Amino acid sequence: MTPVQLILIGAGFVLATFRATADGVPDESRPLPAAASHSIQFEREIKPIFEASCVQCHGRGKAGGKFSLENRDTALRGGVSGPSIVPGDSAGSYLIELVAGVDPDNVMPQKGTRLTPAQVGVLRAWIDQGALWDDNIGFGRAPAANLMPRRPDLPPAPLGITHPVDRLLWPYFAAQRIDRPGLVDDRVFARRAYLDVIGLLPTPLELDLFVSDANRDKRTGLVRRLLGEHRLYAEHWLTFWNDALRNDYRGTGYIDGGRQQITGWLFGALAANLPFDRFVRELVDPVPGAEGFTKGITWRGVVNASQTPEMQAAQNLSQVFMGVNLKCASCHDSFINDWTLADAYGLAGVYAEHSLEMVLCDKPTGEVAPLKFIYPQLGVIDPTLPREARLKRLAELMTSRDNARLTRTIVNRLWAKFMGRGLVEPLDDMEQVSWHVDLLDWFAADLAEHDYDLKRTIELMLTSEVYQWPAVSLPEDAAGHYTFRGPLIRRLSAEQYLDAVSSLTGTWHLFPSARADFDITPDGRNRNHLPVEPVWIWTALEARDGAAPQTVYWRRTVHWPMAPSEAALVIACDNRFKLFVNEREIATGSDFRQPKLLDLKPHIRVGTNILAIETVNDPARPDEPSARQESPAGLIVYAFVRHRGTREGIEWEKNMDVATDDRWLWSETVDDGWTKLDYRGEDWRRAVELGPAGTAPWQIGDTWQVAESSARLYGRVRAALVPSDPLLTALGRPNREQVVTSRPTAATTLQALELTNGETLANWLRRGAERLVADLPDAGPRDIVIESYRRGLGRAPTPEELRLAEVWLGTTVHLSGVEDFLWAMTMLPEFQLIR
Amino acid sequence: VTGHAPLGNDTDPDAMKTKNSWNRRDFLKTASAATLSALAAGYPRALLADEGGDKPEATADTLILLWMAGGMAHTETFDPKRYTPFEPGMSPAALFSTFPTIDTAVDSIKFTAGLEQLASVMDRGALIRSYTAGDLGFILHSRHQYQWHTGYAPPQTVAAPHLGAVVARTLGPLNPVVPAFINIGQRFDVGEGEELKAFHTAGFLGSEYGPFNIPFPDQAADSVRPPAGMSPTRFEDRNRLYRRLLERSPIGEYGGDYQKQSLLRSLDNAHRLLSSPAAKAFDLSLEPLESIRKYVPGYEPGRRFDAALERFGGYEAQTVGRFGLGCLLARRLTEVGARFIEVTTEYIPFLNWDTHENGHTRLVAMKQQIDAPIAQLVRDLEHRGLLDRTLIVVASEFSRDALIEGRPDRKVKDQVEVPDAIHELTHYGMHRHFTDAGCVLLYGGGSRRGYLHGYTAEERPFRTMDNRVVIEDLHATLYRALGISPKLAYEIEQRPFYVTRDGLGQPIRELLVS
Repeated sequence: MTPVQLILIGAGFVLATFRATADGVPDESRPLPAAASHSIQFEREIKPIFEASCVQCHGRGKAGGKFSLENRDTALRGGVSGPSIVPGDSAGSYLIELVAGVDPDNVMPQKGTRLTPAQVGVLRAWIDQGALWDDNIGFGRAPAANLMPRRPDLPPAPLGITHPVDRLLWPYFAAQRIDRPGLVDDRVFARRAYLDVIGLLPTPLELDLFVSDANRDKRTGLVRRLLGEHRLYAEHWLTFWNDALRNDYRGTGYIDGGRQQITGWLFGALAANLPFDRFVRELVDPVPGAEGFTKGITWRGVVNASQTPEMQAAQNLSQVFMGVNLKCASCHDSFINDWTLADAYGLAGVYAEHSLEMVLCDKPTGEVAPLKFIYPQLGVIDPTLPREARLKRLAELMTSRDNARLTRTIVNRLWAKFMGRGLVEPLDDMEQVSWHVDLLDWFAADLAEHDYDLKRTIELMLTSEVYQWPAVSLPEDAAGHYTFRGPLIRRLSAEQYLDAVSSLTGTWHLFPSARADFDITPDGRNRNHLPVEPVWIWTALEARDGAAPQTVYWRRTVHWPMAPSEAALVIACDNRFKLFVNEREIATGSDFRQPKLLDLKPHIRVGTNILAIETVNDPARPDEPSARQESPAGLIVYAFVRHRGTREGIEWEKNMDVATDDRWLWSETVDDGWTKLDYRGEDWRRAVELGPAGTAPWQIGDTWQVAESSARLYGRVRAALVPSDPLLTALGRPNREQVVTSRPTAATTLQALELTNGETLANWLRRGAERLVADLPDAGPRDIVIESYRRGLGRAPTPEELRLAEVWLGTTVHLSGVEDFLWAMTMLPEFQLIR
Repeated sequence: VTGHAPLGNDTDPDAMKTKNSWNRRDFLKTASAATLSALAAGYPRALLADEGGDKPEATADTLILLWMAGGMAHTETFDPKRYTPFEPGMSPAALFSTFPTIDTAVDSIKFTAGLEQLASVMDRGALIRSYTAGDLGFILHSRHQYQWHTGYAPPQTVAAPHLGAVVARTLGPLNPVVPAFINIGQRFDVGEGEELKAFHTAGFLGSEYGPFNIPFPDQAADSVRPPAGMSPTRFEDRNRLYRRLLERSPIGEYGGDYQKQSLLRSLDNAHRLLSSPAAKAFDLSLEPLESIRKYVPGYEPGRRFDAALERFGGYEAQTVGRFGLGCLLARRLTEVGARFIEVTTEYIPFLNWDTHENGHTRLVAMKQQIDAPIAQLVRDLEHRGLLDRTLIVVASEFSRDALIEGRPDRKVKDQVEVPDAIHELTHYGMHRHFTDAGCVLLYGGGSRRGYLHGYTAEERPFRTMDNRVVIEDLHATLYRALGISPKLAYEIEQRPFYVTRDGLGQPIRELLVS
């Protein structure tokens, strides 16, 4: 790659300008170039000089050395060195002294090429002639692009084109001479739609039903049905938003409390399809659980002024929601856009508890920027308001109907996700012009007009004809001109790839690391599906207020008539417990605020089982033996135990859940063998119910629900809900230390090495092969090949593929052979790409 | 088929020794694949500032960074002060060096005892005694390590690339089948693992240039072998099946899409590495035992280095040899054309060089970890004629002191309680983090021989007195040797990101021959 000469130096910045000599008198030994003799026209002769050499630091909102060429008034006013243009006296104008280079150590412009003597002569003549300035010309900040709402009318509908997106695009296609290429077939469409809405491959059954559906509107119907899969939708979009909001279950900063997760809030917001304006409000002016985004990431020690939490908040909310890059401006007036240090501090200050002194490239300036939003035309923020009120005001401004930058930014991100490239590029620079302004503006307006319903926007995009066009390769001219010819061929994300491997093999993660309430049904939250609601139990009702320090033994025999497909247990105890299942100790715990989530499946047998728990209520004040020692005591347990089966293609489920209630028996004294099923002992009494998890004094309703809902995900947990591993990292899952709004998708050698010999994928495929073979009893190699093609590629193998794979697998099924066959299939571009 | 066999049985030593044995066609193929993926991913473009942008001529092709993770006390290693033996009741203020001083091959340079082998090769290297770590306030090791390895202190607005990634991105692999950035000896599931991950990355340069991680050097061969339990035959069969399915896949009709091409090329590249003769360089079992023992005295094959991470259990002494094998691996990889190799003593909070207690005792073991292998690496590379083009750097994130936390003029929050009088050996050592001095060693690759740069005070505080070296200048020096300008920048979000902080790094000319 050819190194490009770069004129702008990151470290350089405009210094306040000072007089060349101590006494303020220009050195007369260097004569100034003579003034031009002709009559000067500002627009034709002066404007080009200013634009080429001056306004980068002294215009477009910037005022290096406090000198601004925004208009004649500011120019005549001068900067820190006083007036620099004296109309009628160019020899006495400091500007001329600077551009002529009288003092070699203090020449303007500081960056770029120096003015020629002829140019200096023109400037002199202009000043001598009175420094006349056309009123209609200024060098202020350019008007903000893509900011104000605009709702273009839909063009007339050509024959057969009804969808608004297609109507908007049709004139474009006519102008670009692009013919309709026809639509992809049902299987390709379904795979696309599934992956784009819920991130999963369709199952063979779902695909077959869809393909055989004769309904003309079935594609729209499918998109709507998928958008209605609230939990699956939330699990998929969690990845996108985790990247953008840099939320993760592990990462830097957590060791010192320098970071906070927002997973619970985010998952709930996605599952409920929170209107986007409210979504943004709850992040910008954080509601409980959403603070982490604007809290930022702090490492131990001192932090550079350009990376304080307030500045991180300013940078990140500008980037994610407004498509504005304030990163350069956090340190100095930006060289790449019009943002200034004062803009960045103006926004950061909104979040600051105390006024923030501006720091210019690590040097304190002694100045405080006026508080403001980056687009003050949307409204002001009263600096005298307390912080909470300022945040509320900021959230208001950002989500007001007048701020169509917010809506344009998100619809552009969605378009890019589905079509492979944005209507505006780069996605994080929304000052750029869209290749289809009307389409961008229309989507933004439509979103605002429909209660900021992102699912509506997604549905509109995915039901358009253009979304159903065959995918195309990135145009050869990658850096240059882009013409839309249909969605780009895309690659599965790391999470999509892993989930696809899981769909193919039937093996998923056991439990989520993400902490959220996963009990989402189409009606929103629904907890009534539980046959049992666990309650706190103890030996007497008074235990809520206080029970004597004591050890209590608990027993519950339970009949599980079928081997469970899934079995997990959640338990909390005030103060300590030791849990035995069928005599084997499987867990201990001592903090009821953090209920334990356990894999129960390996410990269960078909038939009668015995759960036995030894609990201890500790004394309230062990250090003061004479004090009252009673303290609250309680035990709460929920076992999620299900048997799933399929009969004639229909899935069914047997619910065998168990929870603490008054059927549990307790005793204060036991003999050896009390954990055995046939232990008799004496004096077993029935538990007393104290109330559900949220009951005082424990009040752990929310964390309990998180744990319970996690138990119910047993063995079906998707890649988005677990921390990154070497495979996910290699496939491009970012470490979420910075905001990431699009991931690189090209395959790399290190990635291929991880896929080829990495332990993580090898283990998945080993388990997957076992599971696949177990799920298909009596299946021969041929059946396995056919089923794998149907699950993984959404189609039957061609006769040639079938013959090849069959020959390779041999006559009898070997796990290693299946494993290798699965590996080969998941390496295929057909598997890894979205066509 | 089960069983586990190394790739091939060919033990022809010549294949290992010839540095130019890779063929040019492979290189071209790989290069075009890299270009392709770079295009597709929108990987950052290189930018050069117009001033001083001339590409310096390289004096080194390979950089080996030997990382003393956890803070190596200068006064206990390469910058001896008065020897103050342990006396019950001594004041910590009276604690200077806890080791006697020894001579080195250079008259004017002394070390502390326990570094005799390194002392014997001091004439091949340059020693900096004035390295000064960043001023980052309340100390967090991983934060200083991040700054050392990227030149930038976290948090950063963009994901800063590791030194090795910059080298990999800028120079590319030396041998196309050997990953350009190899990282040996660090696990990421230890304390501060997330913070370590944050800089063991190519960051915005793109994962193509990220580290190839080998946490345990004795298991390095596994990283370039088929997955555990898979024989080479089965591995080849599996690959053949993939190719045949690929040929028959209907998607094969869809021509030259870049996504597909990059996918296919990347798998080819991976397969090429896994079946290349260079892969044998990763296999330490092919090294003669007597040669291993020069790096790890008394080494017995099959020895394991997975001692429990026990703070008071003599971890350092139990794992002597792990770093040594890493150095040996670095030598073997250098021979087959590695570009950037880091070998770390491993950062684990409170272990290895991170001595919060028992400093003296543990440093006896730490010196055993490093003394023989580093010296042997220098000798071996010299013997093979590779030292001239290989730059070895020994460095640590900061130093330590018995009393001062941070800098003498800007102390920071203490992390270790130091008693008024030392009665037990536990308290005998450098247990606080000191940022105002530190030692860096350079060998080969165009660095000066037998040269001393900077010095520190003879009385506490043992601070830098002259020729202060900061990270951007140290990096600029390393880059200079590799032929990279300190003002080289990569474009990210339309702005330049310089390989030394803001392009300000200045090579320290005294440290370099040319």
